[in-house]
Amino acid sequence: MEVLTVLIPYILRGLSITLEVTAVALGLGLLFGTILAILRVYGGKVLSGLLTQFVTILRALPHILLLLILYFMIARVVNLSAFWSGSMALAIISSAYQSEIIRGAIQSVPGGQMMAARSIGMSRFKAIWHVIIPQAFRFAIPPWSNEAAIVIKDSSLVYVLGVPEILRQAQYYSARTYQPFTAYLAVAAIYFLLTFITNRGLDALERRIRIPA
Amino acid sequence: MSFFEYLKIALPQIWVGLMITFRVSFVCLLIGMALGFPVALARVYGPKWLRWLVTGYVEVFRGTPVLVQLFLIYYGLPQFGITFSPFTSAYLAIGLNSGAYQSEYFRGAIQAISGGQMMAARSIGMTRMQAIRHVIIPQAFRFAIPSWSNEAVSMVKISSIVYLIAVPEMLYVAKLLMSKYYNVLQTYLLVGLVYLLVIGLMTLLLNEIERRTTIPGLEIAKRGS
Amino acid sequence: MPKPEKVIVKIENVHKAYGKEEVLKGISMDVCEGEVVVLVGPSGTGKSTLLRCINQLTIPDSGKVWVDGVELTNPKTDIDKARQHIGMVFQDFNLFNHLTTLDNIMLGLIHVMGMKKEEARDKALLELKRVGLANKSENYPGQLSGGQKQRVAIARSLAMDPIVMLFDEPTSALDPELIGEVLTVMKDLAVGGMTMICVTHEIGFARDVCSRIVFMEHGEIVEEGNPDKMLNHPDLPRTKQFLGKITELH
Repeated sequence: MEVLTVLIPYILRGLSITLEVTAVALGLGLLFGTILAILRVYGGKVLSGLLTQFVTILRALPHILLLLILYFMIARVVNLSAFWSGSMALAIISSAYQSEIIRGAIQSVPGGQMMAARSIGMSRFKAIWHVIIPQAFRFAIPPWSNEAAIVIKDSSLVYVLGVPEILRQAQYYSARTYQPFTAYLAVAAIYFLLTFITNRGLDALERRIRIPA
Repeated sequence: MSFFEYLKIALPQIWVGLMITFRVSFVCLLIGMALGFPVALARVYGPKWLRWLVTGYVEVFRGTPVLVQLFLIYYGLPQFGITFSPFTSAYLAIGLNSGAYQSEYFRGAIQAISGGQMMAARSIGMTRMQAIRHVIIPQAFRFAIPSWSNEAVSMVKISSIVYLIAVPEMLYVAKLLMSKYYNVLQTYLLVGLVYLLVIGLMTLLLNEIERRTTIPGLEIAKRGS
Repeated sequence: MPKPEKVIVKIENVHKAYGKEEVLKGISMDVCEGEVVVLVGPSGTGKSTLLRCINQLTIPDSGKVWVDGVELTNPKTDIDKARQHIGMVFQDFNLFNHLTTLDNIMLGLIHVMGMKKEEARDKALLELKRVGLANKSENYPGQLSGGQKQRVAIARSLAMDPIVMLFDEPTSALDPELIGEVLTVMKDLAVGGMTMICVTHEIGFARDVCSRIVFMEHGEIVEEGNPDKMLNHPDLPRTKQFLGKITELH
């Protein structure tokens, strides 16, 4: 179908941007989120309280509003491109949710594990690294898989910043060919594929590293 | 102009926008419930072909961005001559989206109750239909309230994207104000504050309702947590 | 007693309160090398808390604790280093769930004591053999019975060459038929000269191998003495009442 031959280049151009935005947002979100989580669990009352407030606010606001605010702040202050400002903004938003996931996972590890590790002379740091984190990691995978799908879908929001990701490309296509439904359907199909593959992949990972019991 | 003067101009307009936000959120939540509950029942008790169909609906709407769903309905359908107003498009897109997520919460609740309760109901001679109607459904509702109240809060957050198709909710009003007064950061933060207040109050209210009505038990996965 | 008594654990006037409730009201105790001390008393009277105060998993509000001459309550002391030679066995086993039994034992040897992997593996296997579980080296804790888990936990502590072993109700979470295998290991340790402090209700164990029974109630030591005295003709009626009760049940 000639529709496809015209459509596919648009899709591919947009897809690489979409994937890059997702990768940056998810990756940096994981980094910030982990640091936030560890500070919230082991960081002492004041710091933990402050960070919890910060995370609560980030999670209470609409993502698109946060994106616009953060984009405005980042693009003005640091003078980054729309791609980077948008991706960073999504990363900050995701880090709030990921810190909740990781914090929950750390706290799901039974308290006795830390006691046992300390009782054989491990320092707090070693105990966290060798005993707590390997177990927390396994608890974190199902909810993280959910968050990964959310970030994939949220990457569509950078559309409003003019970033030429897949949704924006679809809009260009439909402006040229007056076939908006075809365009957006293709976009929906791509997103569906991305979330599907991600969820299945992470399910498989979870099964592979499951602790035998 | 001073911030206070700006507030006097902006707040009344933001209030109107907030009412629209509530309207959209409320309608979509209801549509979502009207769709979600039957879909959940179909997935647990329905014949194979029906289950297949509704699972497809749920997977598609949960696996694609709500923004894309919105554009498909508002910008895409006119390709076939079907045109919906911004409001209707919003209700349809977000309503369908919410229905998919709500069906998951209800499904979780139904499945959590189903086994033992169904056995007990059948063992006193009830038909499957009677059991579903008199035993499963009343309990499933109460079981699902925590997840459902989380969905209510999510609705308020998600409804903000409809500003893109010119539905005059809060964010749309904000954009209008900014184009007139160039007060970008202040306006955004103002709107942000309003959202925080609204969601904070909603959360308190819903927690209270939850506390008074729920059956303690299974925790069912929520949309964003 | 032919040779001079070396004090391994010295507890001096330790107090601990949780909120308004005072759980330890000035406990003082000396435990000498080779002694097997059994702490008994009603639940919630601070016995486990006292044990955790020894290796500072719980920090006392006041009072001092020495182990092998080192004051552990001194904030300047390197507590991690000190804990290397204090073994602790928990009621809930607390095996590292994500590691095989062998790795459970090797973890401390490699990362705390700095052993090379092969050396650690040999030692770990030796300890597993000692508790009779060499054939379970590649299993995960989730695949073991309660008694097996506890024996692995004991092996994990023994591998660090402790000078004193602390047992916090080691058999309380076990099904009755699994208690015996753990008590056997503990008895062998006692007979072999290990200094042990045990919180337990297993009076049979106390009667057979311990050198001193300490009866605690309401955060204080009520009475202590050798098993013969405590079980057969204690000074205080309360002691007789309590020990009589648990002798009946065990």
